[in-house]
Amino acid sequence: MSAPLLSVTGAVKRFGGVQALRGVDFDLKAGEIHALLGENGAGKSTLMNLLSGVYTPDEGEIRIDGKQVHFNNPREAQAAGIATIFQELDLVPSLDVAANLFLGRELMRPGGMLDVPAMRREARQRLEAIELAIDPARLVADLSIGQRQVVAIVKALSYASRVLIMDEPTAALTVSEVERLFAIMRKLAATGVGIVYISHRLEEVPDIADRVTVMRDGRVAGITEPHAPQAELVRLLVGRPLDELYPERAKSAGKTLLSLKNASFRLARESAGWQPPDDISLEVREGEIVGLAGIMGAGRTELLSALYGTGLAGRWQGEVAVDGRPVKLESIHAARKAGIAFVTDDRRGSGLMLRMAVGLNLVMSVIRRISPAGLMSPRRQAEAVRQSFGQFDIRPKNPDIAVGALSGGNQQKVVLAKEILGNPRLLLLDEPTRGVDVGAKGEIYARLRALAAQGLGILVASSEMPELIGLCDRIVVLRQGRNVAEFIGGVDEHTVLAAANGREA
Amino acid sequence: MSDQKISVAVSAAPTTAKHRVDPLAIIVRFQSLIGLVLVAIGGVIFSPRRHGEILFLDPDNIANIVRAVSETGIIAIGMTFVIITAGIDLSVGAVLGLSAVVTATMMISGGFGLIATILAVLVMGTVFGIVQGTISTRFRLEPFIVTLAGLQAARGLALVVSGNQYINISYGDGPGLAPPVFAVLGERLFDNTVPVATIVFIIFAAIATVVLNTTRFGRYVYAVGGNERAARISGVPVSMVKISVYAITGFASALAGIVHAGQFNFGSANDGMGYELTAIAAVVIGGTSLFGGAGSMVGTVAGTIMLGALANILQLNNITPAMQLLATAAIIVLAAVLQSLVRRREGLGR
Repeated sequence: MSAPLLSVTGAVKRFGGVQALRGVDFDLKAGEIHALLGENGAGKSTLMNLLSGVYTPDEGEIRIDGKQVHFNNPREAQAAGIATIFQELDLVPSLDVAANLFLGRELMRPGGMLDVPAMRREARQRLEAIELAIDPARLVADLSIGQRQVVAIVKALSYASRVLIMDEPTAALTVSEVERLFAIMRKLAATGVGIVYISHRLEEVPDIADRVTVMRDGRVAGITEPHAPQAELVRLLVGRPLDELYPERAKSAGKTLLSLKNASFRLARESAGWQPPDDISLEVREGEIVGLAGIMGAGRTELLSALYGTGLAGRWQGEVAVDGRPVKLESIHAARKAGIAFVTDDRRGSGLMLRMAVGLNLVMSVIRRISPAGLMSPRRQAEAVRQSFGQFDIRPKNPDIAVGALSGGNQQKVVLAKEILGNPRLLLLDEPTRGVDVGAKGEIYARLRALAAQGLGILVASSEMPELIGLCDRIVVLRQGRNVAEFIGGVDEHTVLAAANGREA
Repeated sequence: MSDQKISVAVSAAPTTAKHRVDPLAIIVRFQSLIGLVLVAIGGVIFSPRRHGEILFLDPDNIANIVRAVSETGIIAIGMTFVIITAGIDLSVGAVLGLSAVVTATMMISGGFGLIATILAVLVMGTVFGIVQGTISTRFRLEPFIVTLAGLQAARGLALVVSGNQYINISYGDGPGLAPPVFAVLGERLFDNTVPVATIVFIIFAAIATVVLNTTRFGRYVYAVGGNERAARISGVPVSMVKISVYAITGFASALAGIVHAGQFNFGSANDGMGYELTAIAAVVIGGTSLFGGAGSMVGTVAGTIMLGALANILQLNNITPAMQLLATAAIIVLAAVLQSLVRRREGLGR
């Protein structure tokens, strides 16, 4: 092979006094899938932005096919063949797939009319080229996140076809969607496209990458084989050996906190691919962390929401008991009264008031407690805030800045700390570490285990199988709205996956 | 003045890291006060003089400014609650008109006493707001649409009650006459210096400031505007809070309508035309975000007075109403641009 498709040498980038990149070398071969790993702030986003023309490097150079290039804006990078898919997909939900693919470059009939049939025909061909059967006339809003991801890829490739940069493409995908995405990526790579794959998920690396570059503190910490042991990757990522990402399990659990027997509910809103649950039976005991596994549409999120009194139509059927007493969990009020707290999977959309200060967000679920007689007590508020900062290492240690300015991991700590302030007995967690870096993950796991040791019961849904297996005492597998299997923690991943997919192990 | 930063007990919090203060954020936080000071300085410089005396600073002129803004000011205070929840109330001017008409009618044709009339009108305005808030939350309708309908409804009711006539208020003792004490709303107290309408405005503003900054309800208002779904999940009674803020604008509009009737000694179905827009402008200039979740009462008061002072200077210099509108437009845009810059600086998007 001659010169690599894309290479970066000695890249330096400063923002004010902060040095985001301190001399980074990186290269990408044609047909290669190159994973770029790093914790938040390691500099991988900055590097990506240099490659996609959003920033220009202060020092160092970028070469394509050995020839030096300068990008002053993303358009120039696209013209040079580099396409970037950002986490927030640049799609217009209210337009159909074809209209999105041709946005800004619409095909016209003579006379200035849109040639809709031609665009749909062309769109269908491009989608079929990667074996994706999506009707180009469907609205993007009606597609699943995984399908949108693919539409974004097709769109990006129609601008530029040599280098594809993907920023955490799997963050919001389910296991089967990830598999489909990987298949598409391999196919593209086989045609000679070089792919830079940025991710938080270490466990995906061996499945997809040909080579791995790990960044830390604005430098390349190491370049390794994708099949390097996970411990080695973690050591490169955090700069020290991280013996135990997952804390030790509980020795014993207390009395039963939540119990469902042949329970079911109906959803307030119909959702595609969702089957109403019948016959869910499970229990969570004091001091226990119970996991909910299952593929997309298995009903994990719906079950947690319904236990918190939201998203269900009418009443729970069957037996629902907290502390052995039957409860009617038909409203948030009732759930909170029963000592249940809920952390959603969408911290930006429904977990936090992004523009408001960290401190104000923290006390949100205990406003009643800190406002005796209806008047806010600054002293009690400060106490509550101090308690949260004592429990979680939220950075920066400043309750007055807007929570939206924090990193994903720190935002997640705020959401958790907020609910824990309310002293719940049962904590429902939906995807508690989505978009959170490894360091923060370890801290969150340790915290959850410590809280469980004090008697808190935790029911956690996650699409990250290693997380469920590592963190939970027991794992309940949901399939099509019912519990189909149960395993103790530490079980082998394939066994759980098989149960979730309804296959023999 | 962003409120949330003030109300959190900064001193007691575990702050170790010194954080940089964005000067732009400070400007926006105090934009209406800064604007008020600038307008006042401009007023002094550009004011016409008579016998060497600066007319802008003449006590009579100052009294006129604060009297002229008191009705829209009362409304803007109510509007601040609504806008912090990311809502809007377009019915306020119409409810003012309805309230002025009902006030005049009850006292003149109905023979009701002062207290009964005032209480009835305040209850009417509050109920009007509760109905709008309930329709909006119950049927999940945009408050813009619901209160637009409310505006039409209130104007229609005012026309029905008044028979499309000016209802003049004459004072005296006996049937068909209003109690003379009601006329005090058009007068000044303290050696004929402070207009009574302004006193009503200031007292209302003070109460509203305390409610917004120190009560549980005030915190709920910010929470609902900050992120309604997150507030709901945190156990905030979201619908109750929303209905309450429309009840507050309804109450404020009724109060302004009573003040209006007392100041001008009549009630007309056309009273308060366009006040909703002036009130919204004052709130936005005061630093409250139309996206909800941020805003302050002090800012609204300063914004209200600033708009009044600006209009006053232009009038003193015999500048046409057309120019006044253009000047107001420029200030609204400037305030909005400043807020947008800060949001972008905070990395929170548009």
